[in-house]
Amino acid sequence: MKTEIIRISIRVPLLRIVTFPRALLAAYVLLALIAPLIVPQDPYDPLQLYGWEASSAPGTIGTAGFTYILGTDGLGRDIWSCILFGLRISLTVSIISAGVAATIGMAAGVAAAYFGRWVDVAIMRLVDLQLSLPTILVALIAVVALGPGVDRIILALIIVQWAPFARLARSVALTEARKPYMDAGRLLRLPKWRIILRHLLPNSIGPGLTLVPIEIGHAIALEATLSFLGLGVPIDKPSLGSTVANGFQYLLTGQYWISFFPGLALFGLVASINFVGEDLNHRFDPRRIDR
Amino acid sequence: MPVLKLTLGRLVQAVILLFVMSVIGFAGIHAIGNPVFNVVNLETASADDIRRATIALGLDQPIWRQYLLFLGNVLRGDFGTSYNYHQSAFALLVGKLPATLELSLSAMVVAAPLGVAIGLAAGRQPGSMLDRSLLSTGIFALSIPSFWMSMMLILVGAVETGWFPSGGRGATIVIAGLEWSFATVDGLWHLLLPTLALAIPNIALIARLTRAGTIETERMEFLRFCRAKGISSRHILLRHTLPNISAPVITIIGLQFGGMLAFAVVVESIFSWPGIGKLLIDSIQLLDRPVVMACLTFISIAFVALNAVVDIVQATLDPRIRLSA
Repeated sequence: MKTEIIRISIRVPLLRIVTFPRALLAAYVLLALIAPLIVPQDPYDPLQLYGWEASSAPGTIGTAGFTYILGTDGLGRDIWSCILFGLRISLTVSIISAGVAATIGMAAGVAAAYFGRWVDVAIMRLVDLQLSLPTILVALIAVVALGPGVDRIILALIIVQWAPFARLARSVALTEARKPYMDAGRLLRLPKWRIILRHLLPNSIGPGLTLVPIEIGHAIALEATLSFLGLGVPIDKPSLGSTVANGFQYLLTGQYWISFFPGLALFGLVASINFVGEDLNHRFDPRRIDR
Repeated sequence: MPVLKLTLGRLVQAVILLFVMSVIGFAGIHAIGNPVFNVVNLETASADDIRRATIALGLDQPIWRQYLLFLGNVLRGDFGTSYNYHQSAFALLVGKLPATLELSLSAMVVAAPLGVAIGLAAGRQPGSMLDRSLLSTGIFALSIPSFWMSMMLILVGAVETGWFPSGGRGATIVIAGLEWSFATVDGLWHLLLPTLALAIPNIALIARLTRAGTIETERMEFLRFCRAKGISSRHILLRHTLPNISAPVITIIGLQFGGMLAFAVVVESIFSWPGIGKLLIDSIQLLDRPVVMACLTFISIAFVALNAVVDIVQATLDPRIRLSA
């Protein structure tokens, strides 16, 4: 698999590797990484905020000497800085939750496929249970049950997201388990853990990995939605969703920028991830011959 | 007989689901805080008032006994009395039901035909300009955070142009003892923006699935035979392709309708549409446990029931599913 990727990347000209969604996504990640170095204002530091500059329109020059290029929110926080810091929270939360969910889900799925019987029944019943409710509702119940806080949000998202990974990994592992190399492993009397970890698992996670970007996109949208509903990250640590939510009350009086720009940033982020994920799915879809 | 077995299995699953959900929801609300402080006026209430209120709400009992009591009452069809609105939680829910139902229904009435039409148009010529642009538009539509899209609809449709109201239900009319807005012009006007907000992602989803199904079906032998017979491509599309992809499309429509009931939480909150979703969010914030439990139970039952109906419809439509069940 590794050599395959290298071969493709050498043959394809640079222009076709750097597609617009990928460049956009890279820009997002870069901005989030260097955010503390480039923001004009630390939106978490109340000492840097000036109350009389609340809801300034984009382009206003602030007391601190820099221009609020995207305006300020109801507390006088610079929207541009809020977006960059919000990006950090959104990306951290979603990457951790999708990563952990993928690990747990695929491990559970492979275990269900390998051990079968009651392990399979128990795990898959749990998966069914969860997939039989809309994700937003499961997330809502989980957040209500767990309480507020960034770590709780991550936990709630993991609870929501592990199930699709488990289902997919199980179906792949079931077909893998019937292949001759598994019999070979048993004939060699390899220990069970070695068969599972070194042979079955690595061969069963491929399709699940293509699900990761899509689930990261879901996680970002879900976190933003929960934060928007006031059930997500605390108000003093604004994520993109809660910044949009803060601007809602100002929207009706025409102060659009508080909600508009963070929402646009969120939209661009989710869209770029979805396009990259779509592309990835397309590339690794076994039904496509001409890939 | 297999349909019966399917129904029974679904029923058992639904009961387990509802049980698990009720335990988690119940414990969750209990963990957040004490609802009594939302009920009494904290500035004037004495310690004695608070104690009396606690006893009146039954909150002095240990949590497991509260739960058993709740369970017993629910089995008799009583979700308890709302802590904040002082009326039966179930009656409150039923009062909000028409608003949510008409919002979801109108969104589906918009989304289903449009989504199927777009999907058929795109899937007919996979890889064409039309197909690729529709596909990209669909990904964009699925990437827009629904709360932000709702707000932008308000910004453009209500704040900037003033064409539409920014929220509320408008004038309602009483039919069969419940209030509906679709029957008045003012109500329809209020319904338009939230319907759009709820419909757009679903149009994209249905179109995506229809497209995939169309491409798969168009490759099949019997379609090549139809073409060889000289049947017009329009006739083939509507009379042969469409029926063959109807099963997955019906599935997604059913599932998405359940999803809409849940997703209405967001759209209703933004458009201050007085439905079940808004009631749920308001009640979570007020720690109004009877109402939260009633809402969660209702949405779960509706979702599970829809799933079951979809399964059964599919099993009756498609002999392959019926035989493997």
